[in-house]
Amino acid sequence: MDLVTRSQAGDVQAFEAIYRQHAARIYTLACRMAGSPEDGEDLLQEIFLQAYRKLGSFKGDAALGTWLYRLALNHCLDYVRSRQAKMSKLTDTLDADTSYQPVARRDTPIARLDLERALERLPDGCREAFVLHDVEGFDHKEVGKLLGIAEGTSKSQVFKARAKLRALLR
Amino acid sequence: MHPSETTIHDYVDDTLSAFDRAEVERHLSRCAECRALVDDLREIRRATRSLELREPPVRAWTRIERAIQLEQQERAARPRVSRAVWLGLAAAAVLVIAAAAGLSFQSRAGRNGATTQTAGSAMSGEATAQSIEAELRAAETHYENAIKGLEQIANAGKGTLDPQTAATLQKNLSVVDQAISESRAALRVEPTSEPAQQSLIDSFKTKMALLQDTVALINEMRKGNEAGAARIVSGLKPKG
Repeated sequence: MDLVTRSQAGDVQAFEAIYRQHAARIYTLACRMAGSPEDGEDLLQEIFLQAYRKLGSFKGDAALGTWLYRLALNHCLDYVRSRQAKMSKLTDTLDADTSYQPVARRDTPIARLDLERALERLPDGCREAFVLHDVEGFDHKEVGKLLGIAEGTSKSQVFKARAKLRALLR
Repeated sequence: MHPSETTIHDYVDDTLSAFDRAEVERHLSRCAECRALVDDLREIRRATRSLELREPPVRAWTRIERAIQLEQQERAARPRVSRAVWLGLAAAAVLVIAAAAGLSFQSRAGRNGATTQTAGSAMSGEATAQSIEAELRAAETHYENAIKGLEQIANAGKGTLDPQTAATLQKNLSVVDQAISESRAALRVEPTSEPAQQSLIDSFKTKMALLQDTVALINEMRKGNEAGAARIVSGLKPKG
């Protein structure tokens, strides 16, 4: 029996093998969408619990990785939407700070760790659009649909994020 | 005149028409400021594409496994549960409560932070500060209860750890306890200090994560899973 069939039958060891194959991809997405490793870990747990519960509905039409990724993305988007609703006023205040400012030119390559840290410091709203567009590779139309915003808003949020990153990484 | 911000980003994304692209390139040939901007945006794009996957902490699977076991227990409604499993499940439940309390405190603090910046807010600054302090006290109590439960489990199973690992864990716990003491001292001086409040909550979270790692390690040792134990030990770098 394959891992999915065994997991569907309640074999936790088989599900652990599925977890080991896909956890890093999903944890990375969750950390970047949530903006912190702590929230990313909570999301990872919720996503895999949901996956375990819903595995019975997985028919194998898509690859398991694709099915898990869609589940994870939807869960992260729900989390982001609920947090944005709570924090909208604060975000508005932070957004005002993302206008273009002249920054000194950098002459060394950006280290991956510095970029990860800077991503965590991006304001909610533009971080998610940046992660979906520049990291995950969705186009602005898709990002707009996923985040429930206009395509043009997705563009301006991604541009804001890049400008903010430029200032943070100088 | 400089091209618009949008045009520069579109240029970097290679989504401009040939005509517009040539216009931007003409401008770049004589404008050092815009050239620097384009270079920086290209560097950010390069660095973004080189980002790597992040490995979740080892305790993440232990938490998921416990939660699955809890669900299976509920479904099967078995009358007898072993003491070890019960302790693990109780710890998981208490962690969920503590995490929820911490999250609730943080959300409230964030909302209140936003509220205080809004002119004409109905809530006075004093009432807001009292509310945040009350939330912090509630979160602190929940974390302390969660930590107490985990400490009981960790202390009961400490004999299964080798002395060097136990010493590393103890040293890390001492560093976190020191951070908790310092945050509390700062809060005594300035009860409304947001950095001190955040630092206290973060220190509680760190202590819980460390205790979770300890419990996970004890479980792996008891199961005789050397690879699993080694993965956890490799994450227990000395702090401080």
